[in-house]
Amino acid sequence: MFEALRRAARNAYHLLLLAWAAALGAGIGLGSALYVLEGEYPFGERRVQAWVAWPSVGSPASDPYARAIMARSADVPLAQGEGIAFHADADELGRPLDAACSYVVAGETPVARAWTFTLYDLDGRLLETPQRRAGLASAQMLRDEAGGVTIALAPRPRPGNWLQLPGTGRFQAVLRLYDSPVSGALGWLDDGAMPRIVRMSCPGEALS
Amino acid sequence: MTPRARAVLDSLGRNAGKLALATTIGLVLAAMTHIAAILMLPWLARQDAHARLAPTTTSEAAVLVAAPRDAGFGAVDASPPETWLPLHDPATAVGACAYDLAEGPLRVSAPDGRLFQTISLHARGAGAYYAVTDRAAVRGRLELVVATREQLDALLAREAAREEVADAPADGFGDLRVVAPGRQGFVLVRTLAAFPSEAGLARALVEGVSCTIEPL
Repeated sequence: MFEALRRAARNAYHLLLLAWAAALGAGIGLGSALYVLEGEYPFGERRVQAWVAWPSVGSPASDPYARAIMARSADVPLAQGEGIAFHADADELGRPLDAACSYVVAGETPVARAWTFTLYDLDGRLLETPQRRAGLASAQMLRDEAGGVTIALAPRPRPGNWLQLPGTGRFQAVLRLYDSPVSGALGWLDDGAMPRIVRMSCPGEALS
Repeated sequence: MTPRARAVLDSLGRNAGKLALATTIGLVLAAMTHIAAILMLPWLARQDAHARLAPTTTSEAAVLVAAPRDAGFGAVDASPPETWLPLHDPATAVGACAYDLAEGPLRVSAPDGRLFQTISLHARGAGAYYAVTDRAAVRGRLELVVATREQLDALLAREAAREEVADAPADGFGDLRVVAPGRQGFVLVRTLAAFPSEAGLARALVEGVSCTIEPL
């Protein structure tokens, strides 16, 4: 009688262990996969100042994580040979881009047949402002004597190249170089090759 | 220590050992599940670009996926382009057609309209494998033939046979031929409207791209 009870308890314990192993496998396995897929491309990241790009995601050498992330987001990144996209969600000092502040994006852009500069919210939707313009293309740009470009990002109008910020929330900027040697396997850029994102002022903060 | 206490301790140790074993097995299973989920997702996804474009497989022309924004300062009522494509560049028109090479190679033909244009080829579940820009256009058209390795071999064999007979007209330029890694995939066309006024042209150029299966 006592022996039978003990055997039953042992069987129940074994079943419980099996269920534990299965739950652990499914839970941690799927949970970690989901966690990775929610984030950015984990491999092949290249940084220049505040900008980050993933040159390999648009090539046959893309890794399984990049492919899974593309499958989940339905994103079709620029293929190698089409161009390359640089993303920034912080200024040159690493402070998150805030639509209440004003910024100046200035400097050189790498060699490309054309480039576009576009602002999105953190979910990847175009910024909506009364200006009704979330991006500028290289051909529309006003340039200085040296050929450099300065774009003002601010809630209020600025002279020269200006993109309006909605005044609240965070945002991200994407600089796309179309048909650029940068997207190939050439060496990487140095800091001076990309425009700087400089924060000029924020509400409630003294002008520096 | 009494024999009884020792027996209880033994049993506890055995059970703790079993728990540790079950946890180890669970962690190994977790690693396998993680890898399997990541590798399977591109093939199971119903919301990825290929799945969304699948209805266009039989279409003879590219469909517009994302329109360029034609609003300058003038058009104040223009709404942002509706698209499922995340991080869409509003300066570009994006079109696509899905393909299935089961019936034969695919011919992609794009009119050259002096705007910056790219055509990229994407395999189902594997991302981009080829891209050209409008610089590759010959005589005003950008032409691509996408074929599997077997289809390309068949094409080459047929051409070799034709050359021996020597009565076929010379083709002049050969087509730009690309070997597809798999039977299924999609073609994506991007056209850049450098100015908002070019948005209509960019859109027309994308919609003027044809994707036709040419049975061998």
